Amino acid sequence: MEKKDLLTVLKDWRLHGVVFILVCITEAIGQFSISLGPGVILLLPMLYAFFIGLGLYFTPMINEKNSKNAEPLIVLGVTLLIAKIGFTIGPQIEAIIAAGPALLLQELGNLGTIFLALPLAVWLGFKREAVGMTHSIAREPNVGLIVNKFGFESPEGRGVMAIYIFGTVFGAAFLGLISGLLATATPLHPLSFAMASGVGSGSMMAAASGSLIAAFPEMEDQIVAFAGASNLLSLSTGLYVSIFIGLPLTEKLYEIMTRRKDKKDRLKEEGGKPNA
Amino acid sequence: MLKTITEWILVLVVFGFSALFGNWLGYGVLPWEAVPGMLLLVAVSVIGLVLEKIIPVNIPAVGYIGLIAIAISLPMFPGSALFVEWTEKISILALATPILAYAGISIGSNWADFKKLGFRSVIVAFAVFLGTFLGSALIAEVILRWQGII
Repeated sequence: MEKKDLLTVLKDWRLHGVVFILVCITEAIGQFSISLGPGVILLLPMLYAFFIGLGLYFTPMINEKNSKNAEPLIVLGVTLLIAKIGFTIGPQIEAIIAAGPALLLQELGNLGTIFLALPLAVWLGFKREAVGMTHSIAREPNVGLIVNKFGFESPEGRGVMAIYIFGTVFGAAFLGLISGLLATATPLHPLSFAMASGVGSGSMMAAASGSLIAAFPEMEDQIVAFAGASNLLSLSTGLYVSIFIGLPLTEKLYEIMTRRKDKKDRLKEEGGKPNA
Repeated sequence: MLKTITEWILVLVVFGFSALFGNWLGYGVLPWEAVPGMLLLVAVSVIGLVLEKIIPVNIPAVGYIGLIAIAISLPMFPGSALFVEWTEKISILALATPILAYAGISIGSNWADFKKLGFRSVIVAFAVFLGTFLGSALIAEVILRWQGII
């Protein structure tokens, strides 16, 4: 961050004023829950703030410059969030250490994305883009990894950028909505979802664990501590899991899947008797 | 360096100001009661940001910040009870709301890129995020149960 930039950002009183008003209004409104089948969708002030903020960009109230100035505020705001989480982890260090094995191994759960999303991407007709799209949740380190290996203009690069853009725009809102819903609709324990909330992005973790806290307020401290510890682990190990397991696994599975698909397509072309 | 530090502090204070009012309106904590906790969070953040700049290892500021906050709130650390008491006054949701407000405003400028994503990409993106979240939760569930923690 350049020095000059930060001073301009600081003096953008229109931006800070708008955010201040947004925060006051949305927090005063408070949260609502909507029943959906066996689960609950939680509508939290942070979600209203996000969508109203996005909407304001399209009004004269916010211009391109305000929007650009908002970026460093997210980065610095997240540092406060991480500090707050640290202060929640410290007093519970024994519980965290006791849950250490689960915390470490659930990092491998991030590979779940490959098994769920890769077949879907191939089925939807994506080619090599699918590898970039589904090898991870495409945060900055992973964009770096793919661009480094395949280049920015490659199909893999386009794929990872697509998920990166989606994640940047809707990642936090999406995780916030599904975490409350899944934690109330499935028999899995809220603490398991708390660990899952630490995907390696501060705002996504805040949204996902925030919904859990709203649904299970009596477990607030434990949820924050587990989500925060998992997020720190994701930040430090996530890239290496991708380099050594995620990406090779995605490529292998992609090869297997497309080979089978090619064979079926060929059979269809040859005689229209794929079952023969 | 000193100028950068001052700017970091001022930006964090501007952010913290919004968060303190959100913390009051949403979670019923009077702003001045939460001020010591907020100042502590600002201090730890700034120390982490400075360490990132001066230590020539590729560790992001949030790494230092998390570790410092954990270390000084461990029960064995002198004064930790006070730190924890101060920061407990600030709800994590009250910090998340201004982050997402700034995020929403900032993301408007990515909207053109987002619109270019096809319907198929968005479907895959849902599966990507759902897969990570469910995969981690399932593994955590199995091990926490096996250990008898839940």
